[in-house]
Amino acid sequence: MAVSYAPGLIGAVLVGVNFAKSAAFALGIPLIPVHHIKGHIAANYIAFPELEPPFLCLAISGGNTMLVDVRTYTEMKIIGETRDDAAGECFEKTARILGMPYPGGKHVDALAQKGDDQKYTLPHSLIEGSPYDMSFSGLKTAVVNLVHNAEQKGEALDRESLCASFCRAVSESLVPRTMALARELGYKKIAVAGGVAANSRIRKDFCTAAEKDGVTLYIPPLSLCGDNAAMIGCQGYYEYLAGNTAGSDLNAYANMEL
Amino acid sequence: MLILGFESSAKSASVALCDENGLISQYFQNSGLTHSRTLLPMAEDMLKNLGLTIGDIDLIAVSCGPGSFTGVRIGVSVVKGLAWACDKPVCGVSTLLAMAYNGVCAHEGSIICCVMDARREQFYNALFIMRDGIPVRLCEDRAIGADKLVEDIKNINKPIFIVGDGASLCYNTLNNFEFRTVLAPEPMRYQTAWGVCMAARREPQQSVHELLPVYLRLSQAERERQERIFGK
Ligand SMILES: [Zn+2]
Repeated sequence: MAVSYAPGLIGAVLVGVNFAKSAAFALGIPLIPVHHIKGHIAANYIAFPELEPPFLCLAISGGNTMLVDVRTYTEMKIIGETRDDAAGECFEKTARILGMPYPGGKHVDALAQKGDDQKYTLPHSLIEGSPYDMSFSGLKTAVVNLVHNAEQKGEALDRESLCASFCRAVSESLVPRTMALARELGYKKIAVAGGVAANSRIRKDFCTAAEKDGVTLYIPPLSLCGDNAAMIGCQGYYEYLAGNTAGSDLNAYANMEL
Repeated sequence: MLILGFESSAKSASVALCDENGLISQYFQNSGLTHSRTLLPMAEDMLKNLGLTIGDIDLIAVSCGPGSFTGVRIGVSVVKGLAWACDKPVCGVSTLLAMAYNGVCAHEGSIICCVMDARREQFYNALFIMRDGIPVRLCEDRAIGADKLVEDIKNINKPIFIVGDGASLCYNTLNNFEFRTVLAPEPMRYQTAWGVCMAARREPQQSVHELLPVYLRLSQAERERQERIFGK
């Protein structure tokens, strides 16, 4: 019985953990705690059975944005991450200010298809002295200001182009950084994981960059990008092989190191 | 009939095993440690000490609220996991009804005033009267302010026995009036899994999927969302 025990919304994680551990106890089977982000990464093993560590993975979701050196199935190290908002959070804020329903990532994606990605100039994330860390709060603020300014001046907003420019800004913050780190670590395999990996602009830019660098790219199908129990089961299998089981005193955590 | 009961609606946590004759075993902890870590190990250890397995149990009971959102959620989730895995019936009982059984040490005909601290200047409360050693409900579970509670009990000319994790807070409030109030002694004050088992004997059984938490109030997140949409 594998269960996502951290990180996440604590009220939700508590329900899953307490159900799973009592069920495992009653069934007399092993209980396996799984880190949620490791689960996202493991979605790649389901989609690509030939994929084996080590490789570099960009994990991008509503709560996390990180570059992970996946050394074995269970041991990994964060090389770079966002200093503030996650990429997915930034997508949701943009969707919300444009009046789209939650979750809004796919609506932003759909609108972006019809827009001009060069129309609006949006800031790129840059952290002085930490080339692999990222920041998305500046981008979020820029979008909010742009929309408010247009409203105040009564100017029509080119929503399609704003979404396209926004997707480009996010992609350009993520893709070149990931490729540079793969070159530095000498990895010829790159995986992408998490809900934001469903974004078509990011997928397209990764494909182009990987081909140019001669790197094999792994991005799960859309059905495995968002939160799902299959990825937890998959990572649970590798955690079990590594002997990582828990007792009935397992707790849920809002935050947890990878 | 063996009933395994769980109580985690406030600070204390307890697990009890009862049959038709009464209490067989109870583990109780009022440490403030998270129920998510302590509740299931108490049940596991208790069954082990009794030489029983979960398969020997006939009914799994839980206090399903009102109470702390987190505590209720943990208790209900634990019980759902157990009952689902071993295909047992469950019984979700009102936290306030379960704690009313603490009134067995009050006189026949006494009023049992069950109170939990619901924060935001409210109590979760229900009133019961002891009849033949069983608490009989006088009103529905509710979230009310102290003034409303005073209003409700000011015409009751019977001893009022106050139980629950909000008992001392309530007692101090009611003490300003001339009520015949008795604060339950500390070991009889808190809600327990024994009370949950007692209440479950007279409540309908449910399937695991019918069991739901009862919050009585909106969660903080729901409240904030409504305030955003409709204003305060
Ligand atoms: Zn996720």
